[in-house]
Amino acid sequence: MKQEQMTGSQILLETLMAEGVDTIFGYPGGSIMPVYDKLYDYKDKLRHILVRHEQGAIHAAQGYARTKGFPGTVIVTSGPGATNVLTGVADAMVDSTPVVVIAGQVSSTLLGTDAFQETDLIGMTNPITKWSYQIRKTEDIAWAVSRAYFIASTGRPGPVVLDFTKDAQVGKAEFKYEKCNFIRSYISKPVVDESKIDEAVKMLDASVRPFVVYGQGILQSGAEKELAALLEKGDIPAGSTLLGLSALASDNPHFKGMLGMHGSIASNVMSQQADLILAVGMRFDDRVTGKLDTYCKDAKVIHIDIDPSELGKNVPVDLGIVADAKDALSRIVAKMARKDRKAWLNSDKHCNEVELQKVIIPETKGTADTINPGEVVATVAEVCGQDAIILTDVGQNQMLGARYSRFKRSRSFISSGGLGTMGFGIPATIGAKVAAPDRKVCLFVGDGGFQMTIQELGTIMQEQLGVKLVLLNNNWLGNVRQWQELFFKERYSATRMINPDFEKIAQAYGIERVLVEKREDLRPAVERMFADDKPFILDVHITEANMVFPMVPPGKPVSDIMLNAKEWYK
Amino acid sequence: MEKEKHYIITAYTENQVGLLSTVAGLFTRRSINIDALRVFPSGIPGVHKFVVKTTTSEVKVRSIILNLEKKVDVIKAFCYVDNEDFNKELKDVSDYIKEREALCK
Repeated sequence: MKQEQMTGSQILLETLMAEGVDTIFGYPGGSIMPVYDKLYDYKDKLRHILVRHEQGAIHAAQGYARTKGFPGTVIVTSGPGATNVLTGVADAMVDSTPVVVIAGQVSSTLLGTDAFQETDLIGMTNPITKWSYQIRKTEDIAWAVSRAYFIASTGRPGPVVLDFTKDAQVGKAEFKYEKCNFIRSYISKPVVDESKIDEAVKMLDASVRPFVVYGQGILQSGAEKELAALLEKGDIPAGSTLLGLSALASDNPHFKGMLGMHGSIASNVMSQQADLILAVGMRFDDRVTGKLDTYCKDAKVIHIDIDPSELGKNVPVDLGIVADAKDALSRIVAKMARKDRKAWLNSDKHCNEVELQKVIIPETKGTADTINPGEVVATVAEVCGQDAIILTDVGQNQMLGARYSRFKRSRSFISSGGLGTMGFGIPATIGAKVAAPDRKVCLFVGDGGFQMTIQELGTIMQEQLGVKLVLLNNNWLGNVRQWQELFFKERYSATRMINPDFEKIAQAYGIERVLVEKREDLRPAVERMFADDKPFILDVHITEANMVFPMVPPGKPVSDIMLNAKEWYK
Repeated sequence: MEKEKHYIITAYTENQVGLLSTVAGLFTRRSINIDALRVFPSGIPGVHKFVVKTTTSEVKVRSIILNLEKKVDVIKAFCYVDNEDFNKELKDVSDYIKEREALCK
């Protein structure tokens, strides 16, 4: 018997469901209308979150993916709909976030004619996607969509863009779905070279001062337990990249803090003192290494990453292992010797004491008239019991959110790392709350980033999402202001912001907003914020000229650390 | 500055629309000039072959090879110095594809 014919739009939605998709972030438009029309029949099965701008859709999908470990799904129209997602696609590429973007496209017969809302999306997304493909035939849809989810979620995850012509959406074909789990030209999970594991174990066992630097690869491969076991067995200290945060609990005795420019003194100093660096699931970004030719000069380097092109890219490696982090770490833990390195593990007392007295106490226990942003982050960490998903925008809010938040659970910190996309915060928070409705979800955002995607307050209103938006408001683009003060002779070019009345904005969207200007009001306001599961804006007027420290100035070795504008770590 | 040399880079790929610009883009992004480029059926059914002649440094060539192989539709990439015979890998690639396909079953 001949199988029933379906339209391309229906085949798309059936394939999405077969792949396990339950939520779509999107925005309709001319070239994607057949899909939206069919979605009307699927509204009980596929939740569609209508954003206010396509950039919001992609960042929300990123927040969803990073929370859930499952690709976020975006549907937008052609032309401007598609170009509006590009920032988020580039962000997802550099931060290895699995997302699948399905964009409408003009009919295949009109391609290349400058038809209304036609753009060369494949040409534009080529360098910023893991895979991009134009679906021109209805028969190709199920194949291409299943392949998209396989590619986005396996190996080193990343964004996939499907450019979906209108004639393929309305054409008819049989629904022939086969889950993609193999592509001959693509290795989704490398086979680990056991001899390299043996070599790594040998180097590790011989090391007196090993130091582990880890990144998001730990979260993505689910290697949190293996990492903790390795550190425990070898008495090894470890530092995290920005995106690796929450892979280890904040109170883990082996965790020495965040690495790099605004990382902890201990993690930066110890990485320079180490005789062996074991890097796992991270890519030695310049924000982590500082001046490259001074980074870990005296150490041997073992680098484990699933992406072969990362090994030796920035830091020369003595041993490179292409592997899934969980796979490699579990093999190393099984073979390595139990060692007592307590003296090395606890050699950071001076670093921590200096950081506490010179940086942490002044930042989080302010005594001046105005509130420091670090006080706000620390208060949130106390009140929410270290159990919230913390998101940040980009800038000072991000560095302070990363430094003073505390984590008990994995996948609890989401931020735009590699691309540093201001405006990421609000929509990513929407995605995280949709993915984890039972968890507290809290954003730290500056007044600059807040206004870059402020329109997504409309999405929060429509979906009544219980997100907690903490606006660290100083009427400045704070991070750029900090660099201008330190490195550009206090010439504050275009960083002063005249802001709107956020109370009126919150009111317009029907979102409760509390203004905090005095220290004694801060904690009660944070407690009020977490008392229910409704949308909330906490607008804290913070110290205007506050700067984030410690700081490794750009182009310096990571052991050259500023404690404040005048003092350096000794 | 690292010494520049003449290199020949070959890549075996699936036959996909748009792959030429993907491959060319890897060179553009690293500001490497392509001296000569040829794309043709490799002799293995369904597999295309790119041959790119270029003048650049060893570090950049290494980066190009790794990033070529990172592309989903690229099967294998190789690098030769100047006038080496760049056809000798055909059998290796053919064997590699058979190995990969055996994994699928």
